[in-house]
Formats: sequence, C-alpha cells, structure tokens
Amino acid sequence: MATAPDPLFVTRRHFLSKLSAGLGGFALSSLLSGKTAAVDLPGFAPKAKRVIYLFMSGGPAQQDLFDDKPLLRQRNGEALPDSVRAGQRLTGMSGNQAVLPLAGSHFKFSPYGKNGTQLSELLPHTGGVIDDLCLIRSMFTEAINHDPAMTFFQTGSQIAGRPSLGSWIHYGLGSMNENLPAFVVLVTKKPTDQPLYSRLWGSGFLDSRYQGVRFSSGKEAVFYLANPDGICGTGRRALLDKLAGLNQISYQNELDPEIESRIVQYEMAYRMQTSVPEATSIDGEAKSVLDLYGPDVSQPGTFAANCLQARRMAERGVRFIQLYHPGWDSHSGLPQALPKLAREVDQPCAGLITDLKQRGMLEDTLVICGGEFGRTSYSQGVLTKDTYGRDHHPRCFSMWMAGGGVKPGIVHGATDDFGYNITENPVHVHDLHATILHLMGIDHTRLTYFHQGRHFRLTDVAGTLVKGILA
Amino acid sequence: MKFPNVPMLTICRLSLLPILAMASRAAENPTYNRDIRPILSDKCFQCHGPDAAKREGDLRLDLREEAVKAGAIVPGKPAESELVTRIHERDPKEVMPPPESPRQLNPAERETLVRWIEQGAEYQPLWSFNPLPASVPLPEVKNPDWAKNEIDRFIAARLDLESISPAREAAPERWLRRATFDLTGLPPTSVDIDAFFADKAPGARERAVDRLLASPRYGEKMAVDWLDVARYADSFGYQSDLDTQAWPYRDWVIEAFNENLPWDQFITWQIAGDLLPNPTRNQIIATAFNRIHRKTQEGGSVEAEYRQEGIADRVHTFGTTFLALTFECTRCHDHKYDPLTMRDYYSMGAFFNSIDEWGLLHGNGSIQPNPVLFLTNPEQDKTMAEQAAAVATAEKSLATKMQELEPAFQAWLAAPGAEMADMSGSYDLDAKDKDEFANAVDIKRPAKSSDKNKLVPGQRGQALSFTGDDPLSLGNHGVIHQEDAFTVVFWLKPGEITKRSLVFHNSAGYDPGYNGFELLLEDGKLRWMVAREWPGNCIAVRTKDTLKVNTWSHVVVSYDGSSRAAGLKISLDGGTAEIETLRDQLTRNCGSASAFTFGERVRDSGLRGGAVDDIRIFNRPITPLEIKAIQQDKPLAGVIAETPRDEAGLALLRSYYFSAADPTIRAATADLKKLRQARRQTIDGVRELPVMKEMPEARPAHILARGAYDHPEGEPLPRVTPAALPPFPAGQAVNRLGLARWLTEPNHPLTARVQVNRVWQHFFGRGLVSTAENFGSQGEIPSHPELLDWLSRDFITHQWDLKRLCRQIVLSASYRQDSRVSTALRQKDPANILLARGPSKRLSGEDLRDQALAVSGLLQSRIGGPPAKPYLPASATWRVLNSFLPEYQRDKAPDIYRRSLYTYWRRTAPPPGMLAFDVPGRDVCTVRRQQTNTPLQPLVMLNDPQFVEASRGLAIRMIREGGTDFPSRARWAFREILGREPVEQENHLLTELHDTQLDIFRKDPKQAEAYLKVGDLAAPPEIPAIDLAAATVLANALLNLDEAITLR
Repeated sequence: MATAPDPLFVTRRHFLSKLSAGLGGFALSSLLSGKTAAVDLPGFAPKAKRVIYLFMSGGPAQQDLFDDKPLLRQRNGEALPDSVRAGQRLTGMSGNQAVLPLAGSHFKFSPYGKNGTQLSELLPHTGGVIDDLCLIRSMFTEAINHDPAMTFFQTGSQIAGRPSLGSWIHYGLGSMNENLPAFVVLVTKKPTDQPLYSRLWGSGFLDSRYQGVRFSSGKEAVFYLANPDGICGTGRRALLDKLAGLNQISYQNELDPEIESRIVQYEMAYRMQTSVPEATSIDGEAKSVLDLYGPDVSQPGTFAANCLQARRMAERGVRFIQLYHPGWDSHSGLPQALPKLAREVDQPCAGLITDLKQRGMLEDTLVICGGEFGRTSYSQGVLTKDTYGRDHHPRCFSMWMAGGGVKPGIVHGATDDFGYNITENPVHVHDLHATILHLMGIDHTRLTYFHQGRHFRLTDVAGTLVKGILA
Repeated sequence: MKFPNVPMLTICRLSLLPILAMASRAAENPTYNRDIRPILSDKCFQCHGPDAAKREGDLRLDLREEAVKAGAIVPGKPAESELVTRIHERDPKEVMPPPESPRQLNPAERETLVRWIEQGAEYQPLWSFNPLPASVPLPEVKNPDWAKNEIDRFIAARLDLESISPAREAAPERWLRRATFDLTGLPPTSVDIDAFFADKAPGARERAVDRLLASPRYGEKMAVDWLDVARYADSFGYQSDLDTQAWPYRDWVIEAFNENLPWDQFITWQIAGDLLPNPTRNQIIATAFNRIHRKTQEGGSVEAEYRQEGIADRVHTFGTTFLALTFECTRCHDHKYDPLTMRDYYSMGAFFNSIDEWGLLHGNGSIQPNPVLFLTNPEQDKTMAEQAAAVATAEKSLATKMQELEPAFQAWLAAPGAEMADMSGSYDLDAKDKDEFANAVDIKRPAKSSDKNKLVPGQRGQALSFTGDDPLSLGNHGVIHQEDAFTVVFWLKPGEITKRSLVFHNSAGYDPGYNGFELLLEDGKLRWMVAREWPGNCIAVRTKDTLKVNTWSHVVVSYDGSSRAAGLKISLDGGTAEIETLRDQLTRNCGSASAFTFGERVRDSGLRGGAVDDIRIFNRPITPLEIKAIQQDKPLAGVIAETPRDEAGLALLRSYYFSAADPTIRAATADLKKLRQARRQTIDGVRELPVMKEMPEARPAHILARGAYDHPEGEPLPRVTPAALPPFPAGQAVNRLGLARWLTEPNHPLTARVQVNRVWQHFFGRGLVSTAENFGSQGEIPSHPELLDWLSRDFITHQWDLKRLCRQIVLSASYRQDSRVSTALRQKDPANILLARGPSKRLSGEDLRDQALAVSGLLQSRIGGPPAKPYLPASATWRVLNSFLPEYQRDKAPDIYRRSLYTYWRRTAPPPGMLAFDVPGRDVCTVRRQQTNTPLQPLVMLNDPQFVEASRGLAIRMIREGGTDFPSRARWAFREILGREPVEQENHLLTELHDTQLDIFRKDPKQAEAYLKVGDLAAPPEIPAIDLAAATVLANALLNLDEAITLR
C-alpha cells in the first residue's frame, strides 16, 4: 500500500537525515514519503484502504426501514407478549407504561435487487443499490441509552475515555496523505434531538494526534484554519519563512529534532490552509455527479453535501471519514418524522455508493451505515390510528455495509416475527469492530495500545470475525 | 524503531528496562524487578498470574514457591526447568506463549529468562510495595562539588556508572524562565529578570524561588495538574451536560497549594474532610473530589447502574491518584498482573458507597446532586440563622397561644360553627362533560382527563378508573413550595399490587428524577413524600399496612409545611395510619411543582386498573373530625354535635377549632408560613456544592459479577484495604477517614512515592517512574529508585511540605543543567532518563495562552470564581452539536483575559484550542498528559483571535514601552517573551519580518485596519494602524517561536 505520512504526525525521524536541508520553503513531499504503517501488525492483505462511516445517530427504526414485520401490522395494538420480551430490560421511558402495544409499520415494503430484498418505501434509492450492499439485520448492542450506546459503538466501551474507531484505525494504519488529517468528521447541520460529543471521535488514551478533526460547513472548515482578517497569503508566507529562519537558529543552537519537527508542523498547517478549502470545494464537480446525491447536495452541511465531501476526502487519501446524521430518535410521531429523515439520507447514501463505484473506489472503500441501536416493536406512548413512537431497542437492529471486501447483495442475520429478538447470526458491536478491522487488514486482537499496564484493544476481550459477510 | 508513527510507548518501555540497553540484548545479570518481571508479567501472567479464575494448567509464575513446586522453574538448572523447555518448544501445541498469543518472546528475552534461572531464579517483591526505607544513604560520587543538594548525589551517581558527565549549567535567564514557568505557569517579567540579575549577593536563586513560591500564581499553576487528576470540569459530561458549578472546589485547590497545606492533609481533606471532627467549610468542600465525576440525566437511564458507575469512578480515581495502581482492572476479575483481587476492588468501593445519593441527575439543572454543602456568604448565614430562630419561635408560640385561647375555644364550643374551611377543590367524579369533571368549589376550574380513563361504579356514585397511561389533572391549587400546607382526600381502589404505581403527584421532572409532592403505592403500601431529590433531600413516610386490591379505601394525606417528616400524615379509612419514616431531611425547596395529577406521570408507572373517587383538596392539614365527616359522608355539624365532650372528644374539637375557625391562630399560622417562606427564599439564593456526607449506616457492598450493577454476588463485603498493602491502622474508624489515615501513615509504601514522582514529572517532564499512573507490575520501574525513596522519605519527614520539595528540585544542579546536548548523547538517551541534561518540554495549552495574555498586558490576576468564557470559534460553540445546551455567551473584557485554568471546561465540547495542545478531556482521572506536535497547533497560535489580540496587546506595549526605533522595540519584545536579548542574526530576521509586513500593510492599509479589529481590544488611535499591524505580526511571530513554545 502506498502510504504517505500523517500530516498530524511527523516525527523527528524524518528530519534526522535532512538536518542540513535549508528550511525556508523546502519541499515537504520529499521529506514525507515512505511507509508509515503504524504497528508492526502481522496482517493479511487489506481489502479496504479507507472507511466512510455514515452514523445514523439516535437509532433508526429497523421495522420501518430495513426489517419488515408483517406480524406487527396484523397484531397492531395488541400487547407485546411477555414470552417475547422474556423479562429483558426496557428503558425508564417506556418501561413503566401500563401496556406495550405492538405497532405495525405504516410504511409499505417491497422487494429490491436480484434477491428481492424487502425494503421500506422510504428507501427507494437505497433499494436501487441494494445489490451492492450487505444488509445486516441481526446487529445487537449492550447499551440502551444514547450516550453510552454511541460511546460503545464509537469506542468499544460504554464508558468515556477509550479511543474511537477512527482513532484506532488511524493509529493502526497511519495516514495516506500529506495534506489532510487522516480522520475527518462531518456532522449534518440540523437541529439535533440527541447531542454529539467530541469524545465520540476523540483519541482517548491514544495521543491526541489520532483524534478526529471535525470539518464544519461554515466559512472555516477546520477550527482556526483561516488567516485572521487582514492577513493575506503573502503576509503569512513571509511570516512563516522568517519564523522558520528564527527556529532554525534555535535548532543550530539546541540540536533538538523537536524544533525541526515544529518547523514542519507550521508548513503542514500552511498547506492545510490550501488543501482543506480545495478538498471541500465542490466547484469542479460535474452536474451528473451532483445529481447522484440529490437536490440537497448544493447546500453545505446537509447529509448529501457531506456524503459528497466524504467521497472527496476518500479520493484525497483520508483514511477514516465519519459522518453523523442525527435525528433518528423517534420516541413519538414516527410516521410523521421518518419520511423526512429517510429522504435526507436515502439518495445521498445511494449516490455515494454509485459515485464510488463509478470511480472504481468502492472496492477498496468500506462504507458502513447504521445507528447506535434499534427501536422497539411496541409503541412508546399512545398508539393511535395515525401515529406511534418507538423506544430504544438494543436487542436487534439493522445496518448495512458496502465495498471494501464485503459480500455485496446479501442479507445477513434475521429477527423473529415480532422484530424483538435475533433468530440467526447475531452480530455484536465488538464483532462488527473486529470485522471492520479485518477488512482493513488488521487482526483485532493484535491492534493494541499499552496503557495503565494493560494492552487495550478496540474489541476489549471479545469480538468475533463475521465471516458470513466477507466477500 | 521500524515505524515512526506509533509505538512511542513501546519504545519507551524497551529503552527503559535495562536503561539504555537495546532490547535485542539479553541482560547479563538479570534481576527480577528490572529484567524478569517485565517479561513474565507481559507475556505470562495473563494465564499464569494472580487471576485464579483465568489460570491455566494450575500454574502460577508470579510466586516463586508455586513456580518451583510445579517444576516450571528449577533454580540453577535451566535444562530441567519446564519453563525453559516450553519457551523453546517447536511444537505449536506445546510452545509457550501459545502461538495465538499476541505477545511472543523474542530471543533476547528467552535468553534473559534462562540466565536468570541459571543464576538461581531469585524473585523480588514488586518494588513499589516494598516498605519505604526509614532513611536512604547518599551515594558517593566522583565529583561531589557538582551537587547543590542531595538530589544531585543520586543523579550524579547514576551518571558515574555510565561514565557520563552532567551538562553545564544553563544560562541564568534560562533557568529563571524554566523555574518561573514551572512554578507559576507564566514567563518572568522584565522586572523579574532585572531584579534577578541585580541581586548579586549569594542566594539570589534561592530568593527568586522563594518569591515564585510565594506568588499566588504558584497555586494556580500547581492546581492545573491536580485538576487533571481530580477530573475537574464545569459540566457533568453526559447528554445534556449540565453545569457542575463545582468551581469552589477548584478554588479550594488553588488556595490549598498557595497555603502549602501539608500533602497528607491535602489528601485527607479530599477523601474524608467531612468525617474530621467539627469539619471546616474548606474541609467539606475538599470532598467534592469524590463527587465531580461524570453524571447523566439521560431519560431512561437506570439509577442503580449509574450510581455504581460513580462509585467505580471514585475507586479508579483513588487507585490512580494515590496508589498509582490500576484498580479498574479488578472490576470484572482478579488483577492479571498485580496482587489485587476483585474482592479488594469492591471492598474499596465499600468506603465510597455510603452517601445518600441518587445515581442520576435531575434533568433541569437547578438541583445539584445531594448530599450538598450550602455555600452561604456571611450575610446569608446571619439571615438564615435569624430566620430559623424566628420560625422556631413562631412554631413554639403557636402552642402557647392555643393555651391562652382556651376561653375562645370554650366560647365557640357553646355554639359551634361547622365550616369546611380552606377547601380549594372538590370533585365527585360522577359525570364527565366532554373531558371535564366538575369542581364543586370553583366551576371555572374543572378537572380534566382523557377519554381512556373510564367512569365506573364508585364508592359513591361514579368513580374514575385509570389506564395507567392517562392522567386526571386537577390544576395547581397554589401548592408549589416546601412551606405550602395542604391535604388531599379521596377514595382509592387499587387495581393491582405492583412494586410501584403512582397515585397522584404535584411535581416536576422526568424519569431520572422527580421533585415535588407525590403519593405512591409501593407493594400496596402508601408512600407519601415531599422531595427536592430522593433520597438525599426529602421527607418521606410509608404506611405499614397494605391496601387491598379491588377494595375501596378512604385515603387522606396531608402536609403541614414544616419541612419535617412529622408534618406528613396519612389517614386510612378514617383512622390515623401507622407509618414509618423513610427520610427526614428537606433542607431547601422541593422545586417547581406543576399540578395535582392522578393516575399517571411522565415515564412513571401509573395507577393501572385502579380507580379513584370523590377527591377533595384543602390548603391546610385538615383535622380528624373533618376527616371523619368526609369519610362517613356526614355533615360536619353533625359530627361535631355527636362528638362527646370528654377529654378525647374535646381534644378533637379543639384541634378542629384552632385549625379551621380561630382567627388568631389562623392568622398566626399564616404568619408562620410567611416566616418559612422568607427562610426558604433566602436558601433559594444559596449556591450548593455536591460533597461527601456519610450515611448513618453503611450501605452494603457486594462483588458485582462482570462489574454489572444488577449482579451482586455473595455476602456483603466489609471495608478493607488490599491485603498486599500495609494493614489498616489499629484504632482507626473503618471509614473514609480511616482510609485517609491508612494512606498517610509515614510508612505507606506508595502515597509519598506516587506524589513525589508526579512532582518530579511536573518539573522534568517525565517521572522517575515514567508511568506515573501505574506503579504495578506492568508499569515501569524507577530510573533512580534510591532517589525516589530518599525524596519520599524526606517529604514525609518534613511534614509533607510540597513547597519545600519544589524548592529542592528547582535549586538542584540537576534541574539547573542546560538542556542542550550533543547529538551522540541525545541518541544514547533520547528520553533524558539519566538526566545528563536539563529538562525541555513543550508548554501546556494553558501555559501558552497565559503567556500570550501575560506579555500582552491583558492577563487578569483575580483568583477563582465562576468559570470564564473566552473566544470560541462559532463552529465550536456549545449548541452546534448539542441543542440541550445553553447558548455560549462569550464573556467581555476583562473576563476573557483570565488565566486558562478558569476557562469553562465543558466535557462534551471542550475548547478546541486547548484540546489541540493535549489538555485532557477531564472525563476521567489523568495523571500524565501527552505532548504532541501537530499542525493544528500552529493554526491556533497564528489564527485564534485570542492570540491575535494578545499579539496586538504586546505590540501596543512594544510601541509604548520599547523605545522609539524598531530595533530597540524588537529587542524589548523579544526579551519580554523569551527573557533574553536576541542575537544579531535574530535581530536581522526580525527586522526583515517587520519590513515585509510594513510593506504589505502599506500597500493595503485596509488590511491593517481589518487585522487590528480581530478581538475586542481597541487599537489606540494615536498609533498608526500600519505600524501597529506590522508590530502585531512581529509579536505573533515571537509567540510562535519554538523557544516561546518549548521550555528549555
């Protein structure tokens, strides 16, 4: 794999051989080539070089989108049988309800693709690319509330303080580009129902260089990226040149390679000032490409725009691109809210898959889409003719993956007729993590970090490779 | 070092073990702690170590006796040792470690093991558990003159062994800058520098250090490290991320450092200040150390789960902070490497589990989690004392007044009236009009219920039967505050007996916590409560008798507004119910109540299948005669008339008369309410801080299987400290105070070592034990064990005097050394373990921002107070990712110029400029910060308005104070930041930089003006914009110099 060093990490080693080089405006690329695979991992050939993770935060309702349950419609309004629930815990939000009425989806399902996979009418575009997707209907997790569940999905632990998936992969594999961070986060700009926290893309106990860098859709994609008002490119360049000169004097005096490293970081920052706007500008995108992502794509900060950004980042060698689309926490009024939510993501997701495929990038890009848990088959709150809500449900939910070594056009796992329990091929969060790492060429038991006397893993002491979904 | 990207830690570990030896070389004379334990621990103990549950083949290698007994080790005879055979085995089924283990032995490690067995396989106890020696002899050194104090003898002795000479002394200004930053977090001012150089008498450095130690800035600087340890933050860290308002704790930490509170007391106050005899306010504030962990209010969270999470955090923090042991490893199993068991873990938790707390936060942020300390000011103290006295006097005088008014009662008795006074609502629930039920007292305020609750035959006429999910709302009735007295009367027919169903409430909140008035049915018993927060701040009683299912009971509950459990009454079927008191501590308002609501509450379990009839509400606790009249459905006049005029009867009549009829008593009661109200209003304005307060009886603690809150196992655990550490001191109470005494015993092997090591790390950037967070088997061994012991013993002997310790370090020859070093020596000891040179380290995020503010002249010196909210990029403000949060209201000058430790630390959205410089997230205890060097850092230093504005401040000073021509101004600014004069080459570059910028701004003066508008600080009109802009760029460049960023 041709890899370039991580712009957020340039060690002194790069300089030891270049100490005599003039440092005014030297060519960084020559200094920054070479392998940077992070860990000496006895690996296997990676199938995916990069990940685009479309996180549907809040927990989408699988019964209304990916996992049709006709029985719920037939028995709409009847109480959830105790035999199905089998004493499993509920949240405090619906756990005290006097009745738990089954709520059949108001949305029609129909077959898509060569295998006739049933998908909701809310996902026609996803249906159009279903033959490229691997739909997992048997995901489960341990957490039942948003904060711990998202933290679990993103870090492998419900408790804050562990590195995020993107940080682990960045740490494990290094960067593939020299102008952009290796781990980029994009959040849909919309009023959020459930908050997002910077620790979800934090590096935990790993060095902070591995933390995700959030790109926002405003005038400044990265915090403090733009020169202050009144400072032009020429002025900044002149300042950096003199600064490098002054620092070079310090270096000659101190002989500390950290100083050389600092000079390079300033150059890198300068380059990011150009490369980030270039990467995030969609001016050069063909209309046919924009159209793939749907009408929202021209509006910065939408999920569609972020999906296009994700492809652009992927093209430019960003290793891990994490999108968040909040809003899926449908405790009430689900039939009214879901069509809009689905519209926001359906075409962009499909567009991303198509775009990647057209460019030949899908085969080495792993795309993942899903939330932190599923939703209950019973209605939280009042079930009426017109509406219902669904509470958090960790025991089964659906996700899909595509590209990067995943078997396309299959459905993995199944749930019972009530959509309450998994009946075949359960996939735990740790299993998913193990599989993602595997696809990236990493044995999840060997990607470790020594901290507080222990070799920590993303998958803790668990995780089984989901062989059934490997291409 | 094959790949540069990652294994920094691995590199450190390898380079450390036999110091400076390469890992590929086997140790010549291996010793257990230095050479063998690291190998066995990392590669073998996982399956052959202390954890009995996961032990393979019944073999443990961490105990010599066991290893020898099993034949794994035959001392002196490697060829006969099974261990040696197995590690050289080729058969994949036999070889150890097994091929699937990620941690394999390399040839050097195998050889080291063989050599060690050959030489007798001597074990050593874990170094950190060894007793701290009573004294440590100073080593002899080749050049005793180099040493300034004892520290240097140990450093020199180690260097002698390696035949390395220490570096020369750093230039005095360099030392001054180093010491000033390390002790105060700020650069020396030019005044400081001049004074230092002007002081020619012997002891100038000592005097400089004493001045720094006496500066209030010292406490601020030292507090930063401790606030990382204490995971101090200004918000609770989950979902809605409510404010902790815990800054009084932060301020106490600063004060404690400035006052040089002896370290043993510093520890004791934080662990157990509340248990000290007659604790002072500060001693109690200090215990907030155990309460500032993260806490959630997310709907649906399980209280017990998060309460356990809080206790776990206290244990982890205690373990890391004071013992440098990884207790978290023992939450689910015995420790894999260290002599700590799962039982130890939960026994330790037993010290921290017995405060009357609720595991979740109340949702609206107005209620701090109990127990709390009232942070009154003296005026409030005075007012509250006066008001409490007034209430007590009024309460007493009511009784006296009644005696005095006996004649009035007798007069009334002659011709008694019979008024149902103070009734504010009466609902017979017999007929529904649309969704309304008539209120006989006020037809404009009917009760409301959804159609789902059905009318059914009642005790009298119709009654309302509940689904459990639909409420009957009666409106508010003026019952809002803790002083509001009232009575609710009704018939109740439970439909089922459950663990919990709500009868009625008048409360706010949602499932993580309700506050207000509520009546519950718990296993058929009525629980009647007025709560600010259950269980820590409320009054609650419960009936001893159980109500019958499908049977009508007449229920009367009343509250007298006294904030005492004795003021809660329950009457059942006409008689006073026998009750037990569950809680009797309501110290401040029970919160904003909403409306009296029957049968349902948001996310609570409702009165499913139960029915209610004939509800009446009174704004006073009604009396037995009234209750009897209502229950028996008789006119009150008749009940009064038939009441016998004997002693018991007269008492009932008297009670009724004074409560309902006597104008004097009724006026006095109203006055009493006003006094209670005034007192409550004073307390409403008092800030509160969550602290520790021990429950009268300890809560039982259990081992929790897999750490899960709902899987307790076995018998309750006593509070005990780990068996591998010294015994609990005899005669000490077995509580947190005893624990603190145990910890601060002069012979505790860990407490002083752990702290001394962190102080060393503070000054040298690296601890004598580089893993400051882990002194266990998987941690590093000390680079200078004797020095660590000497310093620890010295620290204890000198009353745990932290300032003294800092002074010793800063004045040592070791610390005074120049950090410059030959490339050869740097390559030999890249991490500066041997200390053949002075420390060099990047300034922290706080230091860098504070330095900029200091040289700009903008920095504020005010200590403490509520957190500051300086500039944030718009895309980093709080509501961008979390609509539950308030708007980020940036402060104005001068609050934006406060030291960085006062910046609001929002756990879910910390300031990005600080994160870029490795300031930890404060989610969990952190004892060692990372030091990275990334391109995000220059972006902050060059573009953050805070730095641009500070550069302008410096530029203004430069122009005003630095002389009239550019060269002298540049020299002045250079010295202000770096504490030294620039050399000629530097002068030259500075001039070039300035000229270029002048040129650019001259060509486009609008740009200069725009640049000067960044940030709030106005540009003085008398300085030409172009000059000031160019000077600002120069100042900004100076702040970005490596020499300004790195302390050398």
